[in-house]
Amino acid sequence: MKKDYLQNPGALKIDLMLRGIRIEDAVVKAWACGSSGIDILLPNNTLVNIPCAEKFTSASPYLIRRDGDSYFISDQTGEVKVDLVPRPEFYNRKTSTGIRFSDIAASHGSYTVITPSPRCDFFNRSIECKYCAGNFDVKGANNDTVYTVDEVLETVGAVLKEKPSGIIYLSIGFSDSDDGGIGFLRPYIQAIKKTYNCLVAVEALPPKSNDHIDETYAIGADSVLYNIEIFDPELFEIICPGRASLVGRKRYMDALAYAAKVFPSGTVASHLIVGLEPPGSTCMGIDFLTSIGVVPVLPIYRPTSGKALRIEPLTAEIIIPVYKHLYKAVTKNRINLNWVKDLSMVTTPMEVRGLVDDASGGNSLIESFYRSAIGQKTAWTLSTLRRKLRVKGRGGPSDNEH
Amino acid sequence: MSVEIDRRPMWLIVASWAVRPALFIILAVIFGYLVTMPVPDGLSVAGQRAVAVFLLCLVLWVTNLVPLAVTGILAIVLVPAFDVLPYKVTYSLFGNEAVFFILGAFILAGAVMHSGISNRVALNIMDRFGSSPSKLLVAIFLLSAGLSFVMSEHAVAAMLFPIVLEISKSLGLKPGKSNYGKLLFFALAWGCVIGGVATFLGGARVPLAVGILQETTGQSIGFFEYSLAVFPLVAVLLVSGYFILTRFFPIDIAGVDGAIGMLDKRIKGLGKVSFNEYAVGSVLILTIIAWMTLGEKTGLATVALGSVVVLFVFRLVRWKDIEEYVNWGIILMYGGAIVLGSALDKSGAAKWLVDSLMGGWSGAPWMVFAAFSFLSITLTAAMSNAAVIAVLLPVSIGMARTMGIDPTVVTYAIAVPAGLDFMFPMGTPALAIAASSNYISIRESAKGGFLMFIIAWVAFNLVAAYYWPLIGIGYAR
Repeated sequence: MKKDYLQNPGALKIDLMLRGIRIEDAVVKAWACGSSGIDILLPNNTLVNIPCAEKFTSASPYLIRRDGDSYFISDQTGEVKVDLVPRPEFYNRKTSTGIRFSDIAASHGSYTVITPSPRCDFFNRSIECKYCAGNFDVKGANNDTVYTVDEVLETVGAVLKEKPSGIIYLSIGFSDSDDGGIGFLRPYIQAIKKTYNCLVAVEALPPKSNDHIDETYAIGADSVLYNIEIFDPELFEIICPGRASLVGRKRYMDALAYAAKVFPSGTVASHLIVGLEPPGSTCMGIDFLTSIGVVPVLPIYRPTSGKALRIEPLTAEIIIPVYKHLYKAVTKNRINLNWVKDLSMVTTPMEVRGLVDDASGGNSLIESFYRSAIGQKTAWTLSTLRRKLRVKGRGGPSDNEH
Repeated sequence: MSVEIDRRPMWLIVASWAVRPALFIILAVIFGYLVTMPVPDGLSVAGQRAVAVFLLCLVLWVTNLVPLAVTGILAIVLVPAFDVLPYKVTYSLFGNEAVFFILGAFILAGAVMHSGISNRVALNIMDRFGSSPSKLLVAIFLLSAGLSFVMSEHAVAAMLFPIVLEISKSLGLKPGKSNYGKLLFFALAWGCVIGGVATFLGGARVPLAVGILQETTGQSIGFFEYSLAVFPLVAVLLVSGYFILTRFFPIDIAGVDGAIGMLDKRIKGLGKVSFNEYAVGSVLILTIIAWMTLGEKTGLATVALGSVVVLFVFRLVRWKDIEEYVNWGIILMYGGAIVLGSALDKSGAAKWLVDSLMGGWSGAPWMVFAAFSFLSITLTAAMSNAAVIAVLLPVSIGMARTMGIDPTVVTYAIAVPAGLDFMFPMGTPALAIAASSNYISIRESAKGGFLMFIIAWVAFNLVAAYYWPLIGIGYAR
């Protein structure tokens, strides 16, 4: 354990996500509400969701301590003051149809994730991703819940009113369609865009034809994620058999490269899960993705019981260089960092800037601006204007009601 | 859903978007300057403003920055707004006979097309006379021209296009490669262009020109008188056109059996001639006879609108059937052009423009005629032929008066060549329709069309110099 992690929010975030945290205080336990992770704000506005319920967290050196109204994370050698992120108020309310908003949406910092249909057909074909323990709550055929456009709209309205996040992140699992699921998400995206002035990110499967990528941008998505998850070809086939057999690694790469030419810089992203492949392979993935203008987003694998896929050993000392490499690769390829930021579930390139010795803090003014209300408004205006300028023709089917 | 994403650099997209607003701002500034600058000698304030409106409309008509009709509306708005003419006078000019004649002609053409008689006639003529490649070619060429005598040329092109396309396909002609394919589509386009200048009905350009002539001089040109003057030119162009086409693109097929089979099938599909076809055809024939015999006495528009009333009284057509055939844009554009021409004349701006432009030049009348016709036939290659008339005629009539030339002759000199674009699709819908088949290219069109351009201009001037005196038309007043 290196003492200076406590003094470096980026490194501390990585280590906390890797090792989790112990909670002994009753108030904090109540705050965590039995969730697998607890959202905490580290110094420098660094937001982190720290595992606290999984078995491996019991061995963590980190402990959260309360002193009056203040909270500290300690590791026996020192401590740092932190803030607990309040649970959004809207979680306690319901839609007019009686569904809890917390069932529909989950806020993770600047993003609020909504999965209108939790169904993922990889489960039904027994080719689900091996690590998947409900990534954004996708499940198999037993869950046929589909939230209506109105229910999702109500939820988005509640989110934006309370302002825990300014970006709505719509995700969908695998469905047997050529469009990667964008046809299903279309009415939701269009309705959100029509009703609210907010940015929309879409996580879907790469569609078979690039026309659907054009359509994704045209109907209002401001950001798109096609998550390749694992860069190593063999591990990709083993760990993500559905993605490998029904989509294919090459299609992921081609779709991401095409999307990066359609969407603005920094708005096309792909997950590379740290801990499921050797760090060198992740670095190669980072190099490839950044070379085509895609932001690699590096979540850390959280082992759950019965799914111990993690490479060992996996320590902060081993993976921090990967994040440093990420920051250098993103800046080298001049990819805009202002989009993927302030996420509790992953460590963003911007957060690891402090780990890189020669990184300057010259952009902090711009970053502060984009964090402000007027900055978010500006981002929305620029994104909308860009779409108006770039999208030439529209037609064909529009709103399919769900 | 089909979308296209413009992936050019953003600065380039923004720049291309900014061009249009920037142009409008520049035009507004120039217009403002022209309106407020010190009034030149010999020009009234109203005249100065009329010149400013004219120049603004000229730029908009030439560049097509806004639809032609919108420029026409702008002229109608600006003329009273800047006190060039009182608003009541301005709007009364829109009630010009030419505008209503065009309206009536559109409705009649719509009724003819909707009844199916034109389609039946076209199919039967092609079937009956098109027994060999050369005969089928002549049939399409003459049919396009003949139908354009009585219908708007672009309506004829649009009507015949699918038939010619089907013929090409049934003969297995390859787009862009087959000479005969090129011949068929050139015959369609050129036939429409040549036929379109033969009467008042071909393109509605002539009624516009006559409307401007009437408003500015009180003189007019009759339906029969016009066709009589132009017919020799039409004959020369038809012969030359066929000759040029077959030399440029020698016929490269031996027979047309496939096409005949297709035509037979389509004719059978039409069934027997319906009452509506007989009735609408009869109304059309009677209307043409009335235009020739009663046109001068009752007015061409009166005959046209009278026929329209007959069509509706006998329920030969319903309003919604013909609505799509009435080109309201052209009607608005023509109304605006007539208002503008009249404003230039009544404010003295036309005369001032002529004096300023011509100075002391006093060329022989035939030279002036040749110059105007050349200007008209050249401009129409690049811009809408109606716009050519709108921008050239008011000034040309003013010039004719100054130089002692009959304004009627100058009207011919502008109106007829304005319809003779054989080269580029920009100014001629018939050529644009033919080019959309992919059988002919713009390069080929420009190549063959240039020769026709020369022949048309020379022939027109020769007809004016040697034939018109025989029917009582002379350069001098």
